[in-house]
Amino acid sequence: MVQSINQHEVKLDFRAKKFIIWLFVVSSTIMFGGWTSYYIVFAASKGKGHGLVLPDLFMYSTGVLLVSSVCLFLASRAFRNQEFSMQKFFLWLTLGLGVIFAYLQISAWGTLVQTGAVFSNNNAAISLIYVVSGFHILHILAGLGLVLGSLFGAYRNISVDRQQFRMEITSIFWHFIDILWIYLYVFLLLNS
Amino acid sequence: MSTITIQNNQHHDSHDDHAHGHHKETFLSKYVFSMDHKMIAKQFLITGIIMAVIAMGLSILFRLQLAWPDRSFPILETFLGKWAEGGRIRPEFYLALVTIHGTIMVFFVLTAGLSGTFSNLLIPLQLGARDMASPFMNMLSYWFFFTACVVMMCSFFVQTGPASAGWTVYPPLSALPKAIPGSGTGMTLWLISMICFVVSSLMGGINYVSTVLNMRTKGMDLWKMPLTIWAFFLTAILGILSFPVLVAGVVLLIFDRSFGTSFYLSDIVIGTQVLPNEGGSPILWQHLFWFLGHPEVYIVIMPALGISSEVISVNSRKPIFGYHAMVYSLIGITILSFIVWGHHMFVTGMNPLLGGVFMITTLIIAVPSAVKTFNYLATLWRGNIRFTPAMLFAIGLVSFFISGGLTGIFLGNASLDINLHDTYFVVAHFHLVMGSAAIFGMLAGVYHWFPKMFGRMMNAKLGYLHFWLTFICAYLVFFPLHFLGLDGVPRRYYAFTEFEFMQKWVTVNIFVTWAAIIAALAQVAFLFNFFYSIFKGKVAPQNPWEANTLEWTTPVEHLHGNWPGEIPTVYRWPYDYSKPGAEEDFIPQTVPFSLTMSSNMPHDFEGNTEAERIQEEWMAAQEAKQKTIVD
Repeated sequence: MVQSINQHEVKLDFRAKKFIIWLFVVSSTIMFGGWTSYYIVFAASKGKGHGLVLPDLFMYSTGVLLVSSVCLFLASRAFRNQEFSMQKFFLWLTLGLGVIFAYLQISAWGTLVQTGAVFSNNNAAISLIYVVSGFHILHILAGLGLVLGSLFGAYRNISVDRQQFRMEITSIFWHFIDILWIYLYVFLLLNS
Repeated sequence: MSTITIQNNQHHDSHDDHAHGHHKETFLSKYVFSMDHKMIAKQFLITGIIMAVIAMGLSILFRLQLAWPDRSFPILETFLGKWAEGGRIRPEFYLALVTIHGTIMVFFVLTAGLSGTFSNLLIPLQLGARDMASPFMNMLSYWFFFTACVVMMCSFFVQTGPASAGWTVYPPLSALPKAIPGSGTGMTLWLISMICFVVSSLMGGINYVSTVLNMRTKGMDLWKMPLTIWAFFLTAILGILSFPVLVAGVVLLIFDRSFGTSFYLSDIVIGTQVLPNEGGSPILWQHLFWFLGHPEVYIVIMPALGISSEVISVNSRKPIFGYHAMVYSLIGITILSFIVWGHHMFVTGMNPLLGGVFMITTLIIAVPSAVKTFNYLATLWRGNIRFTPAMLFAIGLVSFFISGGLTGIFLGNASLDINLHDTYFVVAHFHLVMGSAAIFGMLAGVYHWFPKMFGRMMNAKLGYLHFWLTFICAYLVFFPLHFLGLDGVPRRYYAFTEFEFMQKWVTVNIFVTWAAIIAALAQVAFLFNFFYSIFKGKVAPQNPWEANTLEWTTPVEHLHGNWPGEIPTVYRWPYDYSKPGAEEDFIPQTVPFSLTMSSNMPHDFEGNTEAERIQEEWMAAQEAKQKTIVD
């Protein structure tokens, strides 16, 4: 079936679709850029940031997310080396760590609420912590969907081209949300 | 994102089926949930036209109020019920009318209707691609847009009416549901609609950029792309870089409205009630909004400029003057448009030094805009002009772009803007330069590519009628507004006649309203022409305008995948019109240089020495032949 259409056109199609993910990464970066620049202008004009000691949970979750990125990298490598059971193992690991990350983020909110730094706050900088981490969790959910897509592809044994395509877009997106969170965390640490 | 990827792959399967000839098209998959870029373009166009008619109707309603502030029109009550009790439009409804008119026109008509239609139609056709990078995302893009339109229209049917804080929805007015009736449910619906809209334009824009960069046919390098594609490409980049900032701003506004945060709110008293919100700043909304909002006006005008580049070149039978300059000026506008947003905020108490910076960048952006204008004029100059309706509308765009652009230079100067801010001078300026100019570009595109979209021709005579009435009336509507503005008449006022010094302007407003009514009636000529010609128009030949670009090499009957056989290869730039020595006055992009030996120029070969050698040999042989004939 695949042979009947022009191989070249299909390759081109995958390249174009992969590029779509990159462009999504760009626009998403800009959205978070909008919030962090809001923060900078807000903090500069009011002379105050969120003024909190961020909960330790954020530090643990960052670690979890980093490890999950490493796992996804290992899964990609296993796929390239055609070690498919290893690939599935590391994909499951990535998925699990992603879920743990989301759980830790939400518990970190719990800690923040306990210290009185609630979302509906007269200090917009504190509200913004929830906004950026919340929208980051939405990205994590989307990323988990992509990981699941790669897993399904691996189990259903779809064509190698398509599996590779799925692995690639999952990697682009997951590493992006990893770096995005590190940016946000460091930003919040530096601008307290 | 995951569903999208999975679905993409499913689409692949169906594409494979298609190659085998098993493709089944149902009504739903062909006309409703279509993934064919040509059908999606038509969906965008027709939805855009419907929204434009609605928004135009709204403008006539508030123009009635402005011209005859004391007269009662009982028919209005029949239609609008409590919004026009006693036949007079209520002040709250007046504000809703201007707000929704602006929102629909800027976002739904001139962004989605214009880019959505022509980027979808022309990017694959003019670049030689089977479809968009992701047809499924393209379909989603339309349906998000459609949802946005429906949600926006729903706000007319809620108890408190549609959003009324102006199309820029500045807080605190928009952030406090209790501030005015329009800030209630209507505002919530506005924000939801806007989020859908942004999702739609991001999906569309991302698709356009990826398609342009990855799916060009053989031989189509970037410098062989028609200017339409350059314009759509850069417009899509602008959208990708600026719309997410609007989302960021809108999300914070939603939290302020519904979750008690204070991003934009501080020190507010409603009646006797002091609100708890503290520490926010409404100016920050303006920054976030105009960081999108200013690029947005270029998102509106650039596709129109691209369309008119193509239409003017084709119908002048001349290569576009300064192709490279046209591209670089588009790039210049794209970059500069991100650093001018502050000129909307000169009166917010901005640091004068910062105001000066924004003033300088604003004046610099006039340079690429002027380059484009001069190039249009130089293309027209001594051209073998064919005055088709599309050509007239493209020339009309140039006219509006000049007359509206000049007042932009006034308004870009902080010292003048402080006087003119929020007066009718601003209304006149942007209705000419981005309103009329962009809609004329869109109409030029509709008249020009109608044969490609529907396989039939539009009636030219009705087109001329439509053009002249619209062109004259647009000037009659917007030109007088400059003088109101210079005299200090503020925009958005329900009844400015309450101020004695402005009463003298009522007569002008009556004149303007009549001109607006005639302009609105003129659109009936277009609407009839458009819908009648879809079914009953003259069947179009394959290349009705004798144009060079690739879309005219596709068959008149649409088919999935655009070209029946292999995708054609491109050999030359798209503007070889009236080339000296050529047999006809146009040479399509698909004609190789080996078939046009008599008209090839040394620079055509871009330094390919082998080709130059062959050409020289051919010329020498021709000369020898000439000599023997003479001898």
